Amino acid sequence: MTQPVPLTQLKRGQHATLASTSLPEADAASLRALGLKPACELTLCRSGQPCIVSVVSGGCRCRIGLSRELADRVMVSAQS
Amino acid sequence: MVGNPNVGKTTIFNHLAGRTQKTANFPGTTQEAHIGAVAGHTLIDMPGLYGLELDAPESSLCRGVIEGSTSPEGTRALPPDTLLIILDATNLVRGLALAAEVLGRGLPSVVVVNLIDDAHRRGIHVDAEKLERATGVPVLLTSAKTGEGLGEVSRLMSRARRATLPPLESRDAIEAWADETYAEIASATPDSGLTDDGLTDRLDRAFTHPVLGVLTFALAMTGLFWVVFKLASVPMDFIDLIFATAGSWVAGVLPDGAISSLLTDGVIAGVGGTVIFLPQIVLLFFLIALLEQTGYLARAAFVIDRLLRPFGLPGHAFIPLLSGHACAIPAIMSARAVPDRRDRLATIMAIPFMSCSARIPVYVLLTVLLFPESPGMQAIAFTGCYVLGAAAGLLTSLAMRRTILRGPSRAMALELPPYRVPDVVGGARLAASRGWLFLRKAGTVILGISIVLWWLGTYPVASATPEAMSLREQASVVEFDEANAMLETADVLDARHQAASSFLGRIGETVQPVFAPLGADRQLTIGILASFAAREVFVATMAVQVAGTDDTEDEGVFEAVAGATRDSGGLVFDLATSWSMLVYFVLAMQCLPTLVVTAREAAAGRGGWKWAALQFGWMSVVAYVGAAIVFAAAGGWGGGA
Repeated sequence: MTQPVPLTQLKRGQHATLASTSLPEADAASLRALGLKPACELTLCRSGQPCIVSVVSGGCRCRIGLSRELADRVMVSAQS
Repeated sequence: MVGNPNVGKTTIFNHLAGRTQKTANFPGTTQEAHIGAVAGHTLIDMPGLYGLELDAPESSLCRGVIEGSTSPEGTRALPPDTLLIILDATNLVRGLALAAEVLGRGLPSVVVVNLIDDAHRRGIHVDAEKLERATGVPVLLTSAKTGEGLGEVSRLMSRARRATLPPLESRDAIEAWADETYAEIASATPDSGLTDDGLTDRLDRAFTHPVLGVLTFALAMTGLFWVVFKLASVPMDFIDLIFATAGSWVAGVLPDGAISSLLTDGVIAGVGGTVIFLPQIVLLFFLIALLEQTGYLARAAFVIDRLLRPFGLPGHAFIPLLSGHACAIPAIMSARAVPDRRDRLATIMAIPFMSCSARIPVYVLLTVLLFPESPGMQAIAFTGCYVLGAAAGLLTSLAMRRTILRGPSRAMALELPPYRVPDVVGGARLAASRGWLFLRKAGTVILGISIVLWWLGTYPVASATPEAMSLREQASVVEFDEANAMLETADVLDARHQAASSFLGRIGETVQPVFAPLGADRQLTIGILASFAAREVFVATMAVQVAGTDDTEDEGVFEAVAGATRDSGGLVFDLATSWSMLVYFVLAMQCLPTLVVTAREAAAGRGGWKWAALQFGWMSVVAYVGAAIVFAAAGGWGGGA
C-alpha cells in the first residue's frame, strides 16, 4: 500500500482502499452510511467535479458521486 | 417500513396497501410519507434513509416515528407495532448496518430481503434461515419485480419479534456486525462483484462532462418542455370545451340573474381557469419522475450543482426550480428534497420567479401585441421571458444567501443509482398525487378568489347607458343583420360601463396613479389588481373591459384588446406599456395560493408567514421597479391615464 493521497489524485480506473477522512462529522457520517467506510475498496470512475467512485467490496456494491471539495478530504491508499 | 433508497420499498408498499394509500405530511416538518391500510393496521412507508443517526431530515423523522414522538397527520403518534425493514440483496452490508440500528430499538420487527432476482443474476445467494438466526427476527426473500414472495409479506408481519442482536454501541461495532453477518449468510461466485460497468462509466462521464453534460441537460430539458407543451395542448383544449359547454348550458337553463351569473362567471370560470393547467402539471411531474427513475437526474444534479452553486443553490434545487415552470405550488413542496435549511429557503424564494403555466396567456397576448407580424420575434420575446424569470430567481437566491440566509451549504454526496428502465405506473401515480395536490390547494383558493372577483366586478349593477338604449331602439326598426350588429355593440357598451362602474372599476380608478409609472391606465390597473390573486385572470379581465366578453379565443376580442383606447385617447397597449407589462408579469408575485404554500413550507409551520410576506414584498418591488425602468427606457414618459 502506498502513502494515503486525496481521492482526487487517483487516476481513472485506479483501485484504492479508503484510509481516512478529514471531514466535518456530519459529512463523514453521511459518506460512511453511503458505503465509504474505513478500509473499503473502491475504484475511481471519474475525477473532478463530481468525483465518482464505485464501491464493490464484500456485500457492498454502490456508486457514489461526491463534490470535489469532499473528495479532496477523503484519503485513500492506492493499490498497485 | 424502513430501508435504504432504491431497495424497492415503494413497490412492496404498493403491493401491500393497494388503493388504500395516500400521502400525508408530518406536522412541523416538510417531510411526507405514504400511508395505507394493511390487515387492519396502518402501514407507513418512510422516506428512504442511509442511517438512523445521521444529520439528515429523513433520519430524524424515522427516529421520531420509531420512538413514537411523531407520526403522519391523521395517525396517532405511538411507537409502531411492527417494523418492516427492507434490504437490497445486491447491497446487503449497507442495508444490514441500517437494520442493526433499527433492530436495536427493540421493537417487534421483520426483515424483507428484496431484489433477490437481481442477486441471483449476479451470483449472490442469501440464506434467509441464517439471517433469521443472526437477527432473531423473521426473514423473507422477495422480488418486487417478479412478485416472488410478495404474497407472504403481510403474513410475515404477524410473526414479528424483537431482535436478539448483541449490544452494538458504536458505528464501528455496527459495521463489524454487518460484515460478519454478511459473510455468514451470503455466498457469492468469485466474479459476482465484477459485472461490466463499462457502459455505466461511459454514460456517467458523458452526463457529468463540463460541456457535454450541460449540452445533454439542455437537450433533455428542451425535449421535456416541448413534449409537455405539445401533448398537454390536446387535453387542455378538451377541458376548455367542457367548461365552455357547461357555462353555456347553465346560462341556458337558469334565468338571467345573480345565480346564473355567479355560477357561469364565478364558479365555472374559476374552476375551469384552474383545471385547465392540470394537464401541463401532471405531464411535467410524470416526465420528471420517469427521468429520475432512469438514474439520469442524479448525474444531472451534479452538472446543475456546478451551475447553481455560484447563486447559492445546490444541485438538489433544480427539480423544484424546473417544476416551477409548470406551477409553483407543487414545486415549492418539492423543495423538501433539499437537505440544507438555508438552501431550501433560497430555493423556495427563487421558485415563483420561474415562468409558470398561468403566465403563458399573458405572455402570448403581450408578445403578439409587441410583434404582430413576426412569429419569430414573438418566440424570442417569449423565450426571453423565461430567461428573465430564471435570472431573477437565481439573483434573488444569491442576494439572500449573501444576507439573511448567509452561511455554508452542505457539499453534495449522492448515491448514483443504476441506470434502469423507468416504472411508468409509479411515475403516473406520483404525477397524479401532485396533480391532486395542485387541484386541492390551488382550486379551493382560486375558486374563492374567482367568486370574490366576480362579486367585485358585478356589483353594483349599472343601468344601461343612453347610447346602448338608443342603439337598441334603432335595432328594432332596421334589417336583421344591421340590427344584430347594433345589439352586439349595445351589449359591449353596457358591459364596459358595468366594468367601469363596479367596485373593481372604482378601485382601479382610485389606485391607477400608483401604476401610472408603469404606463397603466384605469383599465390596465383593474387587470393588474384582478390578477394580484391569480395571474391567469388578467387576459379575461382585460377582454371584459374592452370587448364586453371574456371569450379570449375570439379573434375579434383579441383585436378589441389590441385596439383598446385609454380615456385620454391613446392605445392602452402602446409599445412602452406592452413592454413594461411583460416585464411586470414575468417578475410579480400574483398567486395567492403560492403564498399560502410558501408560508407552510418555508418554516414548517413556524413563522412561515414572514417568509411569504418577504416573498410578496420582494417580488412586488422587483417587478414594479423593473417595469418602470423598461417603460421609461421604451420612451414611455408622458404616458399614463
